[in-house]
Amino acid sequence: MNTSIMVNFLFKGLEMSCPIAFAALGGVFSEKSGVINIALEGFMIVTAFSVVWGAVAFQTIWMGMVFALVAGVLMSLIHAVATITFRVNQIVSGVAINILAVGVGRFLSERVFGQETQSAINPFLFPTVMGINSFAFALIPIAIISWFVLYKTVFGLRLRTVGESPEAADTLGINVYVMRYAGVMLSGLMVGFAGATLYPTKWVNGMTGGRGFIALACMIFGRWHPIGAVLAALLFGYADTFRIMFETMIPIPSQFVMMTPYVLAVVVLAGMVGRARPPAADGIPYEPGE
Amino acid sequence: MRKIKIDKYHIYELFSPLLGVLAAIIVLLIIGVAVGENPAATLKAIYKFTMSTSGRLATVFSVAIPLFISGLAVSIAFRAGVFNIGVEGQYFIGGLVGALAGIYLPLPRIIHIPVVAICAMLGGALWALIPAMLKIGKGVHEVITTIMFNNIALALANYLVNGPLSGRGEVSLEAQTHHIRETAQFGKLNHWFRALGWNIPNHVFMDYSLIIAAIMGILVWLLLFRLRYGFEIRAVGTSTDVSEYAGIRVKRIQLGAFLTSGAIAGLIGLQEIFAIRGFYTYEIAAGLGFDGIAIALIGRNSPLGVIFSSILFAFLTQAGYGLQLYTSVPLAITFVISGVMILFIVVINEIVTRYIRAQRKKEAA
Repeated sequence: MNTSIMVNFLFKGLEMSCPIAFAALGGVFSEKSGVINIALEGFMIVTAFSVVWGAVAFQTIWMGMVFALVAGVLMSLIHAVATITFRVNQIVSGVAINILAVGVGRFLSERVFGQETQSAINPFLFPTVMGINSFAFALIPIAIISWFVLYKTVFGLRLRTVGESPEAADTLGINVYVMRYAGVMLSGLMVGFAGATLYPTKWVNGMTGGRGFIALACMIFGRWHPIGAVLAALLFGYADTFRIMFETMIPIPSQFVMMTPYVLAVVVLAGMVGRARPPAADGIPYEPGE
Repeated sequence: MRKIKIDKYHIYELFSPLLGVLAAIIVLLIIGVAVGENPAATLKAIYKFTMSTSGRLATVFSVAIPLFISGLAVSIAFRAGVFNIGVEGQYFIGGLVGALAGIYLPLPRIIHIPVVAICAMLGGALWALIPAMLKIGKGVHEVITTIMFNNIALALANYLVNGPLSGRGEVSLEAQTHHIRETAQFGKLNHWFRALGWNIPNHVFMDYSLIIAAIMGILVWLLLFRLRYGFEIRAVGTSTDVSEYAGIRVKRIQLGAFLTSGAIAGLIGLQEIFAIRGFYTYEIAAGLGFDGIAIALIGRNSPLGVIFSSILFAFLTQAGYGLQLYTSVPLAITFVISGVMILFIVVINEIVTRYIRAQRKKEAA
């Protein structure tokens, strides 16, 4: 195999990993604060639309980025209000948001671009470097910053405390609600990046294709650690890139290749037993004692 | 004799889902206004497509049949504290296994349909087996594994229908299986209703799947509220710790409820496969499993409640088509409204619960 294909594979893989990796980082922030977020998929549907919308409307990808980040945060606010303020079951809220997001994506597309299933082509993109969306390279610093914020700052310590033991955090004077809102909104922000790296040329209904769920598996596989989650996402991203680049050379039916990431996710999760421990208060709404 | 006291708070609890529905309708009307439809036109379009003729009304009930089965499947898992998000995949596989029995087994009509139903249930349970085992045995969260299994099911169905089971060319060039044998096809019950005075037009599918749904509804009710096993399911769903202390084998109960849920899920697609299409394709309606989650929640995980909520969802689905047809509100609105409705219902439920708790405390003081 010649080197240019290898180099191409190397960079393409990074680009393909980005949406999963950013979403997985989002999952880490949310769950570290104690809020399960299975709505990542739904967030991504809306942010992937918003990046195209903003870019086309203002004729610059930077506005697309702003739209995506704002959309991600707005979607995450729905989850935050439902689960933190109203202490609704976090999985139920996630399921509802995933359904809602399908509608929001299609509805907005119909209003903005005149058709429900796809947007217009967006010609305003990030510059291409080494044949890929240059924003993909931002994954590396953002992953490191996420690690730094979570493990080396007071904010991160508080966020993690709230996810491990909200009662203790409360006793120490940490506002559990504020920290959890921050965790969930950061997850929305991260999925904003995910949307911007997914495929900013065009939005198509169903384009997220379960990446938000794969991201959840990556988060668990990465043991709720930002760097671990990103590495797991790279595994899936490169597996997917391999599939796309070499599909014609693989002598098995395409449907089996299609299901590989999901089978891989199940196998990986099954093998993680006992070694993956979620934050202690993950999934439990915080109710202040009387 | 013990007097049954109906607390006013029970009534509040019962009505809180309706408040959620009402809130969702208001959101719908507001969105309608935003796209330039006045509320009266929106409501009229909904009325016209769901209730204006007996055929339209019957269609709502027909659409409700698979939704009811889906809600039932999700609710029995919920009762045991299991989140079966995999109903979606389970009905794709259950329907496929049922279709195989309908295509390849030469049986007399009287037993063919029950055999088909049992095969579909086995298929659904089979697809729930691995996520269930992983949850029980290794503690892998079922929400993630079942979501993965949904995608695997779709790809598998896609492969089988295009490959080994392909009956392409028999009627159309689309990917599909061979035709279901005559003996396994679901006939219609429209004449039963006609005898009862409800004139359901022939194009509406009021078919044998209604009988299957009714049987399942009764069985689930008996199981949950009349059998010891059902009591244990409910106990586990209320508190695993307390159940454990009481000597209930929590894991076994959850495994059983998970597989039962999968088995019931296997029946969801039968109406479309055996009554409407007459063959299997991976293009059978998707998303019914996710609707089931909402339906189970709104119906408070009881078979009776699920009847109402499945009809409500069927109404909503039809209303969406009506809006698309008669107004400028896009079809996507049905997803928005479903999502909003679930959120409102759970949030209002929480508010009502808190209010009741506060009131009780005040009364006790």
